[in-house]
Amino acid sequence: MRSPVAVEARDLSKVYRRWGRSRSFGSLKSALLGRGLGKALEPSETVQALSGVSFDVKRGETFGVIGANGSGKSTLLKLVAGLFKPTSGTLRVDGKVSALIELGAGFHPEISGRENVVINGVMLGLTRREIERKLPSIVEFSGLSGFIDEPVKTYSSGMYVRLGFAVAVHVDPEVLVVDEVLAVGDEAFARRCLDTIKEFSARGKTIFFVSHSLVLVEEICDRVLYLSGGRSAGLGDPREMLAAYRLDVSAGEGTRLLAEHAAGQEALRGETAAATPGSPPEEAGGEAAPAPAERARRWGDRSATIDEVRLLGSEGGERYSFRTGEAVTVEISASPARPLSDFVFGIGLFTPEDVCIHGSNTEIDGLEPAVFDGPARVRLTIARCDLGPGTYLLDVAVHARNGTPYDYWRGACRFRVDSARTEAGIWAPERSWATEGGVSWTRT
Amino acid sequence: MERLRDLWRHRALVGVLVAREMKARYRGSVLGFFWSLLNPLLMLAVYTLVFQLLLPNRSPSTTPYALFLFCGLLPWNWLSASITDASSSLLTHGALLRKILFPAEVLPAVAVLAQGVHFLLALPVLLAALVAGALGAFGTPVPLGWALLQVPVLMLLQAALLFGTGLFLSALTVHFRDVKDLLQTVLSVLFFATPILYTLKDLPKGGVTGLLAWNPLAPLFAAWQDALFYGRFAPLSTWGAATAVSLVALAAGWSFFHRLRDSFAEAV
Repeated sequence: MRSPVAVEARDLSKVYRRWGRSRSFGSLKSALLGRGLGKALEPSETVQALSGVSFDVKRGETFGVIGANGSGKSTLLKLVAGLFKPTSGTLRVDGKVSALIELGAGFHPEISGRENVVINGVMLGLTRREIERKLPSIVEFSGLSGFIDEPVKTYSSGMYVRLGFAVAVHVDPEVLVVDEVLAVGDEAFARRCLDTIKEFSARGKTIFFVSHSLVLVEEICDRVLYLSGGRSAGLGDPREMLAAYRLDVSAGEGTRLLAEHAAGQEALRGETAAATPGSPPEEAGGEAAPAPAERARRWGDRSATIDEVRLLGSEGGERYSFRTGEAVTVEISASPARPLSDFVFGIGLFTPEDVCIHGSNTEIDGLEPAVFDGPARVRLTIARCDLGPGTYLLDVAVHARNGTPYDYWRGACRFRVDSARTEAGIWAPERSWATEGGVSWTRT
Repeated sequence: MERLRDLWRHRALVGVLVAREMKARYRGSVLGFFWSLLNPLLMLAVYTLVFQLLLPNRSPSTTPYALFLFCGLLPWNWLSASITDASSSLLTHGALLRKILFPAEVLPAVAVLAQGVHFLLALPVLLAALVAGALGAFGTPVPLGWALLQVPVLMLLQAALLFGTGLFLSALTVHFRDVKDLLQTVLSVLFFATPILYTLKDLPKGGVTGLLAWNPLAPLFAAWQDALFYGRFAPLSTWGAATAVSLVALAAGWSFFHRLRDSFAEAV
């Protein structure tokens, strides 16, 4: 009876050596003495890619690994595939492993696709006889029958990958290690790859899946390991892990946006003196998707000046990262150059592609101006920010009722919205499904 | 020992990769495999022209010199090309080591064997030249006979030597890329230090000559000269020394390679 655990990792750590300051003798010596690379090196010369990661992958399970770039996903993948040895900890992989890390690695450009299939198959552990038997099916799967006798150097990158995938899945491994390979190739082929992976899973094979495509991970994985900074940040139900990961990403993004916002306001305050009064600068209009720094422009005659624009969450704190459906408050601090009786406060909400999502002002909302004779704070609260996941830009202005700008500030704020679901589009309304008759669902 | 069994298990892989090297090398050329035959033939023609007509040889023991040189150069070419290819083989095929589970020791073996195939393809030319030499085509007739039976054994010894050296140098090159540059100089010094252009017996006694006898390649190449040119069986002492050198190189290269093995995927 075979062990029910296909991959068993206990306290895995991996230390890489920094190549900047080369100390060849050090690494050669440590390798020769049978110690892991890195142990003989100073801490400043090494990078800790994984530390203390433990998990079990059950036989027949589809196990996903998610995490940001540099979180140690690829390292873990290479350890499981047997390409790298862990610096410490133990890793046991039960059964024949096939790694879809780089498809078509080892294809020789000068010889034909057919010959490369045979060689690649032998490299991946098949016998010649097995390959000869599987050759028609491999060629059929790759969809390259018309080109199979051409040298591989004439192939497009998509054809290359298709042939590589076709060989790899015909190796029929017990543990299939899949990296970010489905991103290449066209939609139809990607679908086919996915079906193949699912079929593997249905046949009780173990799949170790690493991807940035959260949708895909959610679709096929039974359990997910969430890596952050080389450590395990969670292990369990895909839905929960993905939600944790998305929240961490938006929290990180929020910190970055907060810093960026402060820097942007500072820079624009400096620009105020040089701003052209009266009309918008020519380059401000008509750009398809200007970078935030370029898009941020200010103009106006400064009868009133916007001193600061902040976004506040429902808890009252300043932040630039929100979740779909949350309340958002725009706080505008402004002061008039002289007492004003003709003034309108307005905002405009844009996508990075400069599509206007919403624009309104105090006049549209039925507020008749009375007096504006000293520094003031104006708050606009949007009760439900039903925006889909993405980055948005906010314009803020104070102007006269006839439109003459006092201070018009394009791109005064940039913020992010994240959603726990993966709905499409910029509008994410609150919604519900109902049914009558012969349809029913269970809620997940 | 287990590793050696692994290597045997990988013979199919070695086989297809050697075949691939051959195919890839001649893909697109009109004469294809004939070049492996034609190149030595042209080489022999040039030597004949130079050493029969332009620079007649004065030493009776190495006459006809063109044939003498040819007998030493063919094994040397196999040696120098194999060592050059093998030492950079892990780097050249780095993608394989990084991306798929690939038995690294296969790569130097493929380099040695692919060059060995070129040597094999040149053998018919050599044989024809020796027959022509025996018939007196190069002036003084050369002896020809049972001594040629030594050739397969010599090839085996040389293959073991090259594989051992290739393993050692390929592993070293992963950590010191300098090896590649240094190697060309070392090979050209070795070329002159090895009995190819001369025989050890013809050298003046004492001094530097004594050192040359200690060149680990000397016994093997002396044996090649005996087997091919002089048509005699090499003395037992030569066989013993050549076998010892090959086995030591193989064992040392093998153990060095396997100690460094785990570092390859990360360092290439």
